[in-house]
Amino acid sequence: MPKYLVDLSPLRRDLSYVVVENGVVRIGALTTLWELSKSILHQDIKYAGFMDVFRKFGTMAIRFNATIGGNIASATQYSDYITLLLVYDAELRLESVHGVRKVRLEEFLVDKRKTILMPNEIITEISFKEPPSKTSSAFIKFDRRELLIAGIVTGAIYLTEEEGRIREARIAFDMISEHRIPGRARSTEKCITGRNISEETLIEAEQCLEKEMKRISDWWATSEYRLEMSKAILRKGLRLVHNRILNGVM
Amino acid sequence: MAGIVKVRLEVNGREYIVDVPPHERLIDTLRYRLGYTSVKEGCGRGECGTCIVLVNGLPRHSCLTLTSTLDGAKITTVEGLAPEGKLHAIQVAFIETRGMQCGFCTSGFIMMTKALLDHNPNPSYDEIKEWLSSTLCRCGSYHYYFAAAKLAAKYINEGKIYFDEKQVREKYHLKVV
Repeated sequence: MPKYLVDLSPLRRDLSYVVVENGVVRIGALTTLWELSKSILHQDIKYAGFMDVFRKFGTMAIRFNATIGGNIASATQYSDYITLLLVYDAELRLESVHGVRKVRLEEFLVDKRKTILMPNEIITEISFKEPPSKTSSAFIKFDRRELLIAGIVTGAIYLTEEEGRIREARIAFDMISEHRIPGRARSTEKCITGRNISEETLIEAEQCLEKEMKRISDWWATSEYRLEMSKAILRKGLRLVHNRILNGVM
Repeated sequence: MAGIVKVRLEVNGREYIVDVPPHERLIDTLRYRLGYTSVKEGCGRGECGTCIVLVNGLPRHSCLTLTSTLDGAKITTVEGLAPEGKLHAIQVAFIETRGMQCGFCTSGFIMMTKALLDHNPNPSYDEIKEWLSSTLCRCGSYHYYFAAAKLAAKYINEGKIYFDEKQVREKYHLKVV
């Protein structure tokens, strides 16, 4: 039982917002997922992955009260907004009485339920660069049923295309190494940059991922199964994002 | 008294002032202090959805909410859906579709239906399923409840929001417990 519990809800008035200004998307850490769903993040195809995360997040009732900052601070492989925000190259604003610091989300995460957040600090804002045109994303979660699932394997994909080719690829999974936190598959990203979305590219992407990803076996699934499902997410996700960019719709 | 918080709540239209320890859960305040036993505890961890109530019109798991954070909040439970002597269209729709088996999960489904119909008076079947999937039913009555939500929407859109409780009870052989 904790000795003190601090209620952050009075801060919701100031820390609940989604704004896009000066080419930067800024999200207040205490914005609920329901509030996110009423913002630009659920309207513009550049942010399509946000809709995917929302639809598979717990159950509908949970989404009225869960906050994006709370999901990030929980820092597990099941913190779906982390997996998605990694492919948006998100930064966090951390505040305490001693001041403000800005860190990259990737730096923020150390291991399962371990972050660089100091005991007197809170996350106040999440931000990332507004994506250019011809950009979209996707988030895919595999588990045993539709809802109320943590995700045996999850993945997020972000692509910017130029003349039908991948100008920039960012890919993240629930786990990329033995650390139980989401991470980017950077070698795989390099593998497919400059290529078009074809069967050859997808096959090579899977091969690159196989070399890069280190999966573990545990109570829920084997490493072999997790690797196969990660490749399935990569294949499915790349095609989905490409179609979203092409058609401009979900 | 140290460690006790004074909280003003409006529950089902009535004003209350409660003195609670800071870690008291809303579900316990509603059930044991205030007597609103329609609110049920199935899991105590936000997975089963039987404890769902409306706080300022939006759904909330009362098992995951601390009463001390809700000073000034307006809370609605099943008991507050209709005035004394009346039943709400949602309650009548649930009765008429005859979905209840053990009845334990039903409050959660009803409150989620209320929140949904407040947000969208004409929900599609998909939207009903998405919202109502917030509550688990071990008896397997899901599709009855989805039909009940559709029927409730129909009644409300026809202007039939409240029904006479005595008449409904007589019609459906429901005894007063």
